[in-house]
Amino acid sequence: MYSSQVNEYLSHFFEETDCSIIERHPHYITAQLTIDMDKRIMNRPYYWKYVESTNGVPCPAQLTCITHPEEVLEDVKGEIVRFGSYRLNQIFRVAQQLGAYVHLYEAVDDNQDQIFLTPFLGVNYKVSYYCDQTKEMLFSFGLNLMTGEVIEQFHEQIQELSFVSERPDAAFPLQYIIKPLRGIERLDELLYNIIQGDDHNWAEKAKQKWVRDQRVLDYFYNDVEDKPECYEIEKKALEERYAAKIKCEIINGGIFYLK
Amino acid sequence: MNVEKSPNWEEEFAERLNTQQWDSWKLYKMCYDVVKTNLITEFTGLKSLKYLPNVTPLEHQLEAAQTVIERMNGKAILADEVGLGKTIEAGLILKEYLMRGLVKKALILAPASLVNQWSDELTSKFYIPAIPYRKNTSIEHTDILVMSMDTAKKSPHKEAIYAEAYDMIIIDEAHKLKNHKTKIYEFVQSLKKKFCLLLTATPIQNNVFELFNLISLLKPGHLGNFDVFQSSFKASKHDLENDEFLKELVNQVMVRNRRQDTGIEWTTRKVHNIPVKFTEKEREVYDLILQLKDISPVFAGSFSMITLQKEMCSSKEATCLTLENMMKNCNTKDEIAFVEEVIEQLMALQTNAKAEKVLEIVRSAEDKVIIFTEYRATQIFLQWFLHNNGITSVLFNGKYNKSKRDYMKYLFKEKAQVLIATEAGGEGINLQFCHHIINYDLPWNPMKLEQRIGRVHRLGQEHDVQIYNLAIADTIEQKILDLLHLKIDVFEKVVGELDDILTYKHPI
Repeated sequence: MYSSQVNEYLSHFFEETDCSIIERHPHYITAQLTIDMDKRIMNRPYYWKYVESTNGVPCPAQLTCITHPEEVLEDVKGEIVRFGSYRLNQIFRVAQQLGAYVHLYEAVDDNQDQIFLTPFLGVNYKVSYYCDQTKEMLFSFGLNLMTGEVIEQFHEQIQELSFVSERPDAAFPLQYIIKPLRGIERLDELLYNIIQGDDHNWAEKAKQKWVRDQRVLDYFYNDVEDKPECYEIEKKALEERYAAKIKCEIINGGIFYLK
Repeated sequence: MNVEKSPNWEEEFAERLNTQQWDSWKLYKMCYDVVKTNLITEFTGLKSLKYLPNVTPLEHQLEAAQTVIERMNGKAILADEVGLGKTIEAGLILKEYLMRGLVKKALILAPASLVNQWSDELTSKFYIPAIPYRKNTSIEHTDILVMSMDTAKKSPHKEAIYAEAYDMIIIDEAHKLKNHKTKIYEFVQSLKKKFCLLLTATPIQNNVFELFNLISLLKPGHLGNFDVFQSSFKASKHDLENDEFLKELVNQVMVRNRRQDTGIEWTTRKVHNIPVKFTEKEREVYDLILQLKDISPVFAGSFSMITLQKEMCSSKEATCLTLENMMKNCNTKDEIAFVEEVIEQLMALQTNAKAEKVLEIVRSAEDKVIIFTEYRATQIFLQWFLHNNGITSVLFNGKYNKSKRDYMKYLFKEKAQVLIATEAGGEGINLQFCHHIINYDLPWNPMKLEQRIGRVHRLGQEHDVQIYNLAIADTIEQKILDLLHLKIDVFEKVVGELDDILTYKHPI
């Protein structure tokens, strides 16, 4: 993420989370945090405990994020926020918590006749392959909760649509047949099948490197009967480095009623 | 393949279906977009580069980073010659692993004088929040910690560090680990090294066993165990085939870029070995000092004798200090009388032949000059001597803290003609604006010479670098010169050629 993207992202983030933006500038941004956001990102639990136990007046912080420190000439005090910085990672985490579950209706023109909306379960997965190197993949599935049909790259297809959170008057959402929780199981299974069918040469290679390095290590301690602690430490380090793992997590998902 | 899946999402989803509490569509999209933008789509390649506008890595640095990650699996000795940017390479590698989620906690061990520099560079260039260790820093709660080796190896830090699971260990100036009998070696040996970088321009200083020790820290067994290595090495000292084999093995864990293969046009080094002749008086005192070992058992040890001889080749101030200290251990009157006599003659010396030579060089250079000496007393004497001859100078040594170092560097750049540095000043300062170096006295170790020269002969140097090695004829300094050549020879066989440090190797 480039600095200008970070700036834009922060601006959207604060808007969406009801933190009023006090100053917006291409190189920095100042926001008045809400109480909830202060608790989430300012790391001051004792302050909040104190305020709450004494019934004091809460005073959530203002936060200035400088996204282009090399460009800011005026005397702006704030935190340097860049891709990779602690603060931005924290904000990403909060965004993930606050944007994890949705329940939406596709917007329908009120003047139209009644329109049936089909329920879909949308789930976005991130799959990571780990050994001494990494590779990540995103899978976005949409499961038609009426027919069981699965649409791939679901998010890409719906991201431009406009959605509302309350049912539009003219819309008639169908009652789903497949239960959402059962739907997740189906999508999980589909994902596992895709993963199983993938080329796992990477894991094989890591295994070979592991075996080879283990042999080298054993050779060093060949004649030692009671192997010292550092042998075990090294052995463990090899495992951590080379053991192939596949991790799978759901980024977000929800119910979408589509035309 | 086994797939790990965290069940947390579904559990809360079930709850939300009951409570009907839902999040905003816009945050949902933002969340997806972040994950998508930051996705690591390939096993190979450096993903972090495009996010680092403050770093413009050179070709050899990129190649080094990629080689370490993809071919050496994240464990390597970075042994570029001084001044080619090992720190940049280490930063690239660390950043890549951080971005790929393979490293969360990292520990960087550096000499005390470079701790702040490391933290500054990682933060400003690589946006890696590297925290320099201070008294109250919580080791447990700091993900990327920079610490001095001396602090780290002591309790309670040692235990605190062992308690953490670091994914990556970076050790700067790793030649400090050449001896496997030291505390610091033991300390590093017991650290878990999932990924590990050892940085040193000088992986061999004296003999090939130092390299063995370094590699055995990084990857025990890679060069066999000690007995095997020793026997195959001792027996075949001049066996070329064996050397080739060793070179091959070393190259599997070590990246070494030399100036000429960086593709950058380097200015050359012009080495002048300047023999200096003692004055008659100086020679008399030097010979007198040699007699000391027959006069008193205090001076019988070869180490103290060598020290005195070296000091005598440096300055009477340095010699006198040692003599006075040693005299305290003398018991008989005769011994004390003799030493006092030596000191008296010593202090009566009017001229320092070497210092006169220095004056001559500095005057004819008409430019900034750095003088390296091994002794503090000589350092102060030289400043006084130059001052009396109308030449301005500043002092520099490794004990200075960062702000003082920066200030001295500034003074040298803007105000003074000469910088006089002791050995400890050799590491971690960059003085590309100067291109004359006088090695006032020679260290035993060729790599120390390389470190010294590396202060000025690095990226950014625009002139040929003039190096003046001063050695007093027919003294111990002659022997040091010979020994230096021998050591360079070992280094070249195993690691690669070294730029001209001393011209004697290739007589014109």
